[in-house]
Amino acid sequence: MLKVENLDKTFHTGAGDVHAVQNVSFEAKDGELVAILGASGSGKSTLLSLLGLLDSPDRGSIDIDGTQLANLDSAGRTRYRSSQVGFVFQQFNLIPNLNARENVKLALEFAHWPKADRDNRANELLGIVGLDESKAERRPAKLSGGEQQRVAIARAFAAQPQLILADEPTGSLDKATGQKIVELLREVATTQKATVLVVTHDEKIAKKADRRFEIEDGVLKEIH
Amino acid sequence: MPDEHLKGSSVNAVRRGIRNTFRNSVRTVGVVVILAVAIALSISMLIARDAVTNKINTVRASTGNTITVSPKGFFGFSGGGTPLKESVITGLLSIPNVTAVQESLSEELTSTKTSLKSPTPAGSLGGQFGFGSSGASGFGGSSSSTTFSIPVRVIGTNSPGNAVVGGANGGGTEKLTSGAAYSPTSTADVAIVGSSLASTNKLKVGSTFTAWSTKITVVGIFNAGSTFTDASVLMPLSTVQKLASASGDVTSATVTVNSLNNVANADKAVAKELGSAADVTSTQATTEASLSPLNSVKTISTYTLVGSVIGAAIILLLSMLMIVRERRREVGVLKALGAPNRSIISQFIAESVTFTILGAVVGFVVGILISSPITSALVSASGGSSSTSGFVRRAGGPGFGAGGSGFTPPTGGFANRGAGTFRFGGFSNTITQIHTSAGWSTLGFALIAAIVIAALGSAVAAATIIRIRPAEVLRSE
Ligand SMILES: Nc1ncnc2c1ncn2[C@@H]1O[C@H](COP(=O)(O)OP(=O)(O)O)[C@@H](O)[C@H]1O
Ligand SMILES: [Mg+2]
Repeated sequence: MLKVENLDKTFHTGAGDVHAVQNVSFEAKDGELVAILGASGSGKSTLLSLLGLLDSPDRGSIDIDGTQLANLDSAGRTRYRSSQVGFVFQQFNLIPNLNARENVKLALEFAHWPKADRDNRANELLGIVGLDESKAERRPAKLSGGEQQRVAIARAFAAQPQLILADEPTGSLDKATGQKIVELLREVATTQKATVLVVTHDEKIAKKADRRFEIEDGVLKEIH
Repeated sequence: MPDEHLKGSSVNAVRRGIRNTFRNSVRTVGVVVILAVAIALSISMLIARDAVTNKINTVRASTGNTITVSPKGFFGFSGGGTPLKESVITGLLSIPNVTAVQESLSEELTSTKTSLKSPTPAGSLGGQFGFGSSGASGFGGSSSSTTFSIPVRVIGTNSPGNAVVGGANGGGTEKLTSGAAYSPTSTADVAIVGSSLASTNKLKVGSTFTAWSTKITVVGIFNAGSTFTDASVLMPLSTVQKLASASGDVTSATVTVNSLNNVANADKAVAKELGSAADVTSTQATTEASLSPLNSVKTISTYTLVGSVIGAAIILLLSMLMIVRERRREVGVLKALGAPNRSIISQFIAESVTFTILGAVVGFVVGILISSPITSALVSASGGSSSTSGFVRRAGGPGFGAGGSGFTPPTGGFANRGAGTFRFGGFSNTITQIHTSAGWSTLGFALIAAIVIAALGSAVAAATIIRIRPAEVLRSE
């Protein structure tokens, strides 16, 4: 259960203040797929960075399963990033000299998963996203864009986080592959019982979500 | 439980760091080669420095604890200057730490004063040594200028056996081949003659010759293995003073000091005591003067050593900076995945250390291989035309042994440099010569230098890593 209240983030730039996120409040249930639509520069990535504790809000609170993120110390924030949240990026951002399985295991390592279980868990996740044994041995450069994003999804879900933040996960993929990736996110969200926030500017993809929001100049509104 | 996890994750971070070292093979080779060159240079400089230091110490240790006094302007046995007074010289015994003073009077017997004939043919050495020329350093100064013949040198000394040793007097060590030495207090008309003089004049123990119109009896014959010395005559000091009408005169004195450490001070005191009348030189001072080119080699190698370590550190530092900047996004991803800074930093430290170890290993081997030619090049370049060049080449002590410029590998001196000696058994000649100098201290230095270099490189990487904001990963370029 994710509960966000009155979130504000302003960037002070040379050209003046940019109110990237303004007074954002919303809730999302476990296993729910939430789409956030918005034009470029509307504040989508900034909102995700606040939710993933990659950055701190100026004001407001984020509560995830009863934990107030504002109360976490530096070690607690690191632990939150490793165990309670998973990221899927537009550019995939896999580590290039690690193979698919090693990329997934990296997330398990940072989440302090028992060493003996890491291989099984990584293989299980790679199976769920549809990558076979031979693909698991390949480095990112030897995988297609869609396959790389599947590895990224496996990595994001590996440590069983409550929240998955996907920033334009289909942005670098062709339409058909993008559709498959969103269907995959939808499916894994349900089976892994995680809340998935997908940022996109593609209406068709947004249609697959349980709920839709639109963000404009940092202000978030639900679309019914 | 958390401890176990931490340990496990740092092991993985180190493993990733080592793997990352080989991520870009062209860069890996480049960085390692440059590091290796810098480390090789510093290692070879260290070895050169060791060798030179060794040489300097050997030479210093072999210098005597004596001070030579001669009249101002007096040049060896060639004459010149006003003789010193025996009473003044004896007074030197009151200087602290002076244990003995041994005087001698050098005189020349021209053919009108003696029945002896010099074994040295005038033609062969005259030109080379300035015989026949007039002036302070010429043999011919006191001889007749029309019918020139080599004069015979007579040394008045109370300690036959040490009187003519040393470069200024012609060199060599006297050894009696027949007869016996006269007593130190003798005032008799006796002489010990050099072997070549004896054979030229057909002298045996018991024979006699004339000098200053006095009959002198030969009591012994010596051999010093030196042409000049073996052509001379040793007689009691007071006999020479009496016969040559040089009562109380001395042309050279050797002052013995109780310890090497006191030579410099005693040298100053003797010079002060004798004032402008005498030239005072300690063997130590002469040695120091001849060692000065070696000392500059030592200085050059020290600067190059420090310079190349700093150079290596800068190379690694810049490489690590470049690598971290290039992987800025990746560092952001690791942070977003929940990697603690500690883990990311240890990953980069492992990479920097791997570079350094590779550079150090290659550099160590190359450094040892090139240290010999470098040492000899440095030494011969700085020796130049000075006497040190010859001095160094002649020396058989440990440390030198480079090929190419005439050094003889003094293998004998190498055998026992202690437990810390590397033995590259079965390697080429060059290695055998060098293993002596590459002791544990060299390896220790390489290790410390490498740690300093790696630490610097890592520190720069760490500082940059900490400043990378994970939110940057979400920004599309
Ligand atoms: N670190 C930052 N410094 C300054 N301005 C920023 C920073 N991050 C984002 N912004 C600005 O905030 C606004 C929202 O950016 P972002 O959240 O990346 O938008 P979106 O992801 O919807 O394209 C933009 O105007 C952007 O320029
Ligand atoms: Mg964005």
